[in-house]
Parts: sequence; C-alpha cells; structure tokens
Amino acid sequence: MYDKTVRRRRVVLTLLVVLSLILLTAYFGESSGGGLHSVQRGFLTVISPVQDGANKVLKPVRDLFGWVGDTLHAKSQRDELIKQNERLTKELIENQANNRAYRELLKLDNLDHELSISDYRQVNATVVGESPNIWYSTINIDKGESSGIHLNDPVINGEGVVGKVTQVAPDGAQVSLITDSNIAITVRINKTGVIGMLQPKVGDPNDLLVEYLPPKTSVNVGEYVETAGTVSIDGQDTSLYPPGIPVGQVTSVNLGSPYKSVNVHPRADLHNLDVVQVLTHTGNSTPAQVSSLTASLGTGGSRASGGAAQSLASAGGGG
Amino acid sequence: MQRGLATGLSGGLLARIAALSVVVVFIQTGVVSEVPVFGVRVDLSPLVVAFIGFLCGAEIGAIVGFAVGLLVDLTLVQTLGVTSLVFTVIGYWTGRLRELRDPQAALTPLLIGAAAAATSMIGYSLIEFLLGVDAPVSLELLRQIVLGALVDTIVAVPFWALVRRALQPSLPDDPRRRRRRAYTTGGLSPLSRS
Repeated sequence: MYDKTVRRRRVVLTLLVVLSLILLTAYFGESSGGGLHSVQRGFLTVISPVQDGANKVLKPVRDLFGWVGDTLHAKSQRDELIKQNERLTKELIENQANNRAYRELLKLDNLDHELSISDYRQVNATVVGESPNIWYSTINIDKGESSGIHLNDPVINGEGVVGKVTQVAPDGAQVSLITDSNIAITVRINKTGVIGMLQPKVGDPNDLLVEYLPPKTSVNVGEYVETAGTVSIDGQDTSLYPPGIPVGQVTSVNLGSPYKSVNVHPRADLHNLDVVQVLTHTGNSTPAQVSSLTASLGTGGSRASGGAAQSLASAGGGG
Repeated sequence: MQRGLATGLSGGLLARIAALSVVVVFIQTGVVSEVPVFGVRVDLSPLVVAFIGFLCGAEIGAIVGFAVGLLVDLTLVQTLGVTSLVFTVIGYWTGRLRELRDPQAALTPLLIGAAAAATSMIGYSLIEFLLGVDAPVSLELLRQIVLGALVDTIVAVPFWALVRRALQPSLPDDPRRRRRRAYTTGGLSPLSRS
C-alpha cells in the first residue's frame, strides 16, 4: 500500500513536470497564431468580462491602498513639481516662439504632414489586471477587437508612452509595458533629435536604456526622451508610435562602448495605471497605410535590415 | 471514491481548493499586483500553492501547483508552462515537507512563505534565462528577488491563517492532531514503517 502510494505520487509529479515542459516547448516554438496562443486568446475572451467585473468590485480596495501610498509621497512630490513647473514655464515660452518659426518653415517646404496622435483613433480602456512577475510587465485591459484595437497598437496615458498591444481578444487585450523584456521602441533625445533604441532593463522597472546613440552625441542628465515616430521593419513586429510622445527623462549617461547609451526613467507611472489610451486606426487612415507598407516591406525579405529604424512616419503622413 | 479516499481529496475539499485558487488568482491580478509595496509586488499565487501543499500533501500540492500555474499563465497571457512548472515543484515540495517532517513551529508558515516566494522568483528567472533574454538584465533583479521574497514572507503569516481557515473544515485530519495521535499510538509514525 505504502509502495503504491509512493509510486503514484512520483508518477503524478513526473507527469505534471513533463506536461509543463511540453506546454512550454510547444508555446515557445509556435507562432503567435498557433494553437496554444489561440487557446490563450480564447481564455482571455472568456476571462475579460469577469476581470472587468472583479476590477469594478475591487476598485475601492485598490483605491484605499493607492490613497495611502499617494498620501505618503504627496509632500515631496508637490515640492518637486513646483520647481519643475517654474522651469517648464520658462522652457514653454521659449519653445513656443521656436515652434512657430519651425511650423512656418515646414509650411514653406510643404513638409507639415507629419504623423501625429490626431491621425489615430483614441480608445480609452480600463486596466483590469496586472502581472506580478518581474519578467513580465503586462497589463490586461477591458477593450479589444470589438473596439477596433489591433495587435501592436501603441498604448499611452496622460504622462507618456505605456507600451503596446501584444494579444487581442474580442473584449479584452494584453498590453506589454515599456518595461517588458520583449519591447523595444525607437526614440529620440528631445533636445538634439538623435535617435536610439529604447529597451527595458530586466529586473529594474524604473530604469530603461536608450542604446545605439552616436558616440559623439551630447546628452545631459534631465533631458527628455520621446518617441521618434519610426518603426522597426521586421514584418511581424511593426508598432507605429507617433512622434513626440514623452517616454522619460535621462538619469545617467553611459560611456565605455562604441555606441553611447543613456539610462532613462519612464515618465508614465507604470505601477499605477488605471486608465490607458490605445492609439488605433481605421482602414484607410495614414497610420494604417504606413503599417501595411511596413509589413509589406518586412515580408518582402527585409530581414537583412531587420531592426533598422526607418523613418516612415513622416513619409506616410505626407502621402 | 476509492481514489478520493486514497489521496485524501474529498469533493468538498476539491471545491474549496478550486474556489480558493481562482479567487486568489483574481485578487492577485486585479488588486494585489497593482499595489506595490516597497517597490515590489506581493505575489500570493506561490503562497497559496505552498500552503495547500503543506495542508493537503505532496500529490495534491503538485496538482494544485500545476493548475494554479496554468491559470496564472492563461490569465496573464504569459508563456504557458513556465509558472506551472515552478508551482508544481513548490506544491510538491511543501507537501513532502509535511509528510516527512510535519513541522509544528509557529514560524513554519513564515519559512514556507519565504522559501516558496524565493523558489518562485528564482525558478522563473532561471527558466527565462534558459529561454533567452533579449533585453539587458539589471543587477537590480537580485534586489527585486530579495525584496519580493521578504514582502511575501511578511504576508505569509496572515495569508496562512486565511488558507487554513478556508480549507480546514474539509481537511481529512488536522496535521497537529494526527501527529499527536501518531506519537501516542505509534500507528502513523514514519518510524513504525521500518
């Protein structure tokens, strides 16, 4: 009897471990349209309304905890924001004059059709779930395909870039945050306009890394980083962020490699997301045209240039 | 029925385990994950698996670990199988701990919570490294693991009380009473087998 129990216990353990390994291998090996991914999307479809309901019921509890945390940080934040406000007011006055002159010059050259947020349809969504795992920075939202959301649509909030849509179900979607290990975005340093690749640093949710900046680039701590409005051409992972959306602020500059890199603190409070905005597009809109153009370039054997940032946003917008 | 008796898993206990696991996963994703403590997120899922394993034994612990892991992976749209693998090991290990040692010290839930949290995070990181990481990895990861395990350890004691309260009415026998009886009668002591 004892031997039988021991044998059964071992068989159960072995079976479960093998089953987990099979699942892992199959999931990792298949494309995003594969069977297991479809099952997961189906589950997301079923679970989204439940998560939405649970989120509404549990909101007061979450708000209570959030309120305690916010109160503790409020005083230091207020002092910091007063200083920042003074500095930004000065910069705004200076920039408004520069901007006016810049717009006039663009009009003269007929280049004033750069892609912007107004070209997108903005869908507001509520965050209904969040991953506790340090390896997965993902959130689940309560809007999906039925609201016009597509795979790889950029996601922002009032503070800046949040991430992009990585799974879509009819009434729900998964958003990978910019701190997720699978995300990379082309960004530019606001002051100099130099373009680099933004990547997260796994394990540190408050730190991002902008890499591949030219070695002679002058970047200072405190400068702002924003989306470059470019896409990566690899045919599968095209995500078109309109240019000029704030991403974060430079916290340190790293030398010591052929390319310069800078550490960036994300501007959006990714720990405390309640509502986000998905930038989606309709059939014939400019972002849709640019996305399909990029996808066709990607499938046209452009793997050799995969990862190279191409300035398509401006080109598409002009068309 | 025969099988249910052999594993100690009655219909009532099964229902309670299922309900508890689903509720914990939903509360985890809907509330707990969105409230960072000391910059890290409390993770109740490995704790619930560890405590169910500790209360119900290795076999049930492993099965619950696999099921909860799968639910977590499906709910959060993560790589299927990773959490199941880690949680199966945690559930089995805590079940074996109870079967072999049956520790009764007041600090046991605390230590089990710490070990389960640490195993979960380290196991997860190891699998992710094996699968390949595209992004640079920060040394901050170590701090996150240590802090995460610490925060989970703090939560472990009240959470243990909740899990035990939820499952106790359907448990076949209280481990504490079982052990006392084992030592008075000698009938259930592991020593009597040799």
